[in-house]
Amino acid sequence: MGLLSIIRKIKRKEKEMRILMVGLDNSGKTTIVLKINGEDTSVISPTLGFNIKTIKYQKYSLNIWDVGGQKTIRSYWRNYFEQTDGLVWVVDSSDVRRLDDCRMELENLLKEERLSGASLLVFANKQDIQGALKPSEIAKALNLDALDRTRHWKIVGCSAYTGEGLLEGFDWMVQDIASRIYVLD
Amino acid sequence: MDEQDQSQPNQFSSETLDPIAQMKHAAMLERLSNLHRSRLQQSASRRTDSAAASPAFESVHSFLDRFSDSKRSIEADLARCRALASDPASAPNLKPELEKVSASIADLDRLVAENSYFLPSYEVRSSLKAISELKEALDSANSELMPRKKFSFKNKASRKDPCVLVQQIDEIKVLDAEKSNPGGVRDSPGFRNKENAVLVKHFRVSEEGEGNFSLSDLNSCEVYLKGRIRALFVHRLRNCRIFAGPVQGSILIEDVNDCLFMLSSHQIRIHQARATDFYLRVRSRPIIEDSNGVRFAPYRLFYKGIDEDLKDSGLGEETGNWANVDDFKWLRAVQSPNWCLMPEEERVGTTNSSDREEQCDDE
Repeated sequence: MGLLSIIRKIKRKEKEMRILMVGLDNSGKTTIVLKINGEDTSVISPTLGFNIKTIKYQKYSLNIWDVGGQKTIRSYWRNYFEQTDGLVWVVDSSDVRRLDDCRMELENLLKEERLSGASLLVFANKQDIQGALKPSEIAKALNLDALDRTRHWKIVGCSAYTGEGLLEGFDWMVQDIASRIYVLD
Repeated sequence: MDEQDQSQPNQFSSETLDPIAQMKHAAMLERLSNLHRSRLQQSASRRTDSAAASPAFESVHSFLDRFSDSKRSIEADLARCRALASDPASAPNLKPELEKVSASIADLDRLVAENSYFLPSYEVRSSLKAISELKEALDSANSELMPRKKFSFKNKASRKDPCVLVQQIDEIKVLDAEKSNPGGVRDSPGFRNKENAVLVKHFRVSEEGEGNFSLSDLNSCEVYLKGRIRALFVHRLRNCRIFAGPVQGSILIEDVNDCLFMLSSHQIRIHQARATDFYLRVRSRPIIEDSNGVRFAPYRLFYKGIDEDLKDSGLGEETGNWANVDDFKWLRAVQSPNWCLMPEEERVGTTNSSDREEQCDDE
């Protein structure tokens, strides 16, 4: 706990937040990160390993860790849990068949003690695709209402393709983290 | 010296001192008791103040008062929960009670966070420690009193009734809307559960916009998809040949054996493919995982209007990425043994699907 308070103090000075983006493969994690950073999203290969982006957002500096979602590398997610302030779980809302997989992976993730204090933002991505499930349907399929009461969470429908919903999600997450860590603001 | 035996110093003074000194003494006692009373009042009012308005007035003392009060009440609540659990009649109340305790612990956590900016680091540390002990106590109470249901597999309602296998996409859509199962999850449009069939689908943008499409559980089928799609899902195909127009988003392939795919897309992910040939045009690097015996070649499909469709989907140019395959099961510099480029003499020629008509048109 001593270390934690030191880290908090350092973070308070730099106004830095650490965001971890995870989710099944093909859910659009990298596209979301590039889109919100204003980069070209037309050529993105499936992520082999991870990408880090530091983005200035409002008065904060977001350290976004975008970790590949292929089955083979999901077991490495745990290496990125430490000091995570915000967890972004990205769902392909048009991938109905793998919703069960998606729910189970999320459940496993939330059992992780090192993530117990992190705010959870669920992006119901690909809302621009016809036939995609609505955020409320995704919330139901992932059983989000049964989450631990102490967890701060929100689900936001978005499209990394058009950019819709991305700011709404990040606004909530940044506010929620700020109210936990930077009380004076 | 005799008076030393007396235990009460007051009596000692009142008996031995002269009247003036006695008066002074009484006045002093009164002042002291006034002081004491006002102090009590102050602390009481401070307590109500801090309860009403948070954060408290940057007073470590009032914070500690408040903290220990809440901590005691949480501990009392926990003890009450344990008492509740021993009485079967009140068992239903247990869950809300435990949740209440969890909420109060969260409140306490917030209290510490809100006040942490003026608290000495020792107090922050010890409060956090106390909170984590409370959390542990709650966790153990939770696991003892409300054991979680054991995880088990359940038989899900079967997704599709064989007798309603549909011939036409429109029908599938209607049925899916009606059939949406209790979870509220509906299937996307697609070809499913077919054997020895030729399946054709022409996507006309004006008709149904750009959606996703699924191919699943097909055996020995030939599938022709014409026009543009946003996303394509492929699952459990055996001995099939798939010829598809441009996919503007991504293609996800899982569990295919002895198939031929002709696909163009921005992203392609291939999982659990065996002995299958892929003719691809991709904007990014295609990937394989848990696959073997897969071969790659360039896209060779033709139907009337495909050039325009490709261009509109951002797939007008050959990128050469069909040959830049990443194998997630082979993270080494040397070539993966799971895939190879197909020798030119073994590739199929350009496939022309112009004459393939949709089934619904035939019937």
